[in-house]
Amino acid sequence: MNHQGFGIVPRVPHLRGVNLVWVAALGLMLACAPRLSAREHPAFPASAGVAEAAAAAQVWAPDAFLVYLENDEDVDQTGAAERWGYLYFSPSLKQARGYSIRAGKILVADDLGMSFEAPPVSAQWIDSGAALAAAEENAGREFRTVHQGVLQTLLLARGAFHDDDPNLTTWTVIYSAPHAPSLFVMVDATDGKVRRTWRG
Amino acid sequence: MTSPRRLPIPPAVLVLALLTIVPHGPVWAARARSKPATSTATPAVAPAATPRAPSPPTAVEVRVERVRPPRERYATLRFLKENRDFLRSRFDRLRETPTGHEAAAAPIDPRFLMYQHLLADVRTATDSLTAAEESRKRQELFASVTDLGQLEAQLDLMDRLLNQQRGRLGILEQDFAGRQRTELSIVVSGVPAGVVVDSIAITLESGARLATAVSGAQREALGRGGVLQVFRGLVEPRQQIVEVSVLGGVGLSPASGFITLEPPRDHLTFLRLDLSPVQAPQGASSMTASTWTLDNELHASNGSEPGP
Repeated sequence: MNHQGFGIVPRVPHLRGVNLVWVAALGLMLACAPRLSAREHPAFPASAGVAEAAAAAQVWAPDAFLVYLENDEDVDQTGAAERWGYLYFSPSLKQARGYSIRAGKILVADDLGMSFEAPPVSAQWIDSGAALAAAEENAGREFRTVHQGVLQTLLLARGAFHDDDPNLTTWTVIYSAPHAPSLFVMVDATDGKVRRTWRG
Repeated sequence: MTSPRRLPIPPAVLVLALLTIVPHGPVWAARARSKPATSTATPAVAPAATPRAPSPPTAVEVRVERVRPPRERYATLRFLKENRDFLRSRFDRLRETPTGHEAAAAPIDPRFLMYQHLLADVRTATDSLTAAEESRKRQELFASVTDLGQLEAQLDLMDRLLNQQRGRLGILEQDFAGRQRTELSIVVSGVPAGVVVDSIAITLESGARLATAVSGAQREALGRGGVLQVFRGLVEPRQQIVEVSVLGGVGLSPASGFITLEPPRDHLTFLRLDLSPVQAPQGASSMTASTWTLDNELHASNGSEPGP
């Protein structure tokens, strides 16, 4: 994937220490392989997959509600990803179930396998693109430039990171860098304002 | 894994005898003529000439596999899983510490508010019709040419009110009657030659196993072209693998057949299992299967269309 200098890199195994011959052979194989499009599947903002996940969650448990979402594939500069993961919680079942959506289809449906009694995210929230733009403007771009950092995770949850107002649904944008502590930027999912940044 | 919630349907086993009375539709008849019978041998329990239950023209054949198809694994919610203890502790803390804030109420669905307006409109329309009717009766006393114009205007008013009523009914129908959820119906047709089928076991993607006994009367109905419904319920709108086993007489292999299908969201999907080609040594994997989707979208009238 080409992220046009945005600093976002795919999650690929590190090639350091791998024999150069193997690297060259791999390159040759890729060169000979049929050309694939830049993206095999269309990237979409986080909100676009909610309907599909919600339809499945309602079948699983009628009282299920969305409690958490994060990118399952790398996020591009517009805040879109090829795959997003949505987590639903059912109070009656006391279970959580995740759905991974790609190209409008459910690719994975799995019970979380642990107790995860989280509050529902608010009914209205800004999309991943707006959240990423706010984080970039505030501290993200500078962090990537100074520390050669990359955007790692974009997640939506309610009350997980904001001590002062646990009722707030927030986007948390997480940047990582090879030689510096990660940067966390918390964006209010209601008004798109950055509420807090911290390193850790 | 969870067991599917079965819909409140009449008996778990439902013979759709309706299909037996339309075995010769134009498309199906042509298909039946072009496809020879799989066997001319007289089955043990089926009539000699076994009519084939018709399939809709949109039905698509699906492959019945001998082994469960492998499924690619994808990582999902990685940050959550890598930091589960941290996140759980944060949410636990939320429950332990009162926030001091009132929980934000979810907004009321505007449709519920609209229903009151719809009822008010109905009452208003009724009053208007009553007044118009009384006026019309009075006008009947004056049988003049000019009165006919007023009568026509009143009829137009009735038409308009009728159209508005149709629009309101359309809204209600769309909200309550037309909201199809993702549903799967598995039906069985046909009887294998020389093999008595006692029961059919279905294992759904969720892991739920459903066993349906097949009685003699049902076998006879199948032999006459009837269709037996063995499952109907809500399913997740995603790729599903359905495992089917056919159990019965001596020599019939209990080996399963595996069918992959992907019910589209908010539609009723049918999966039909045709037992006619089942061979005793191969069991369920020798049957054929087809699937189709019932497109039953209801279209609400907006009241703008012309009256009858």
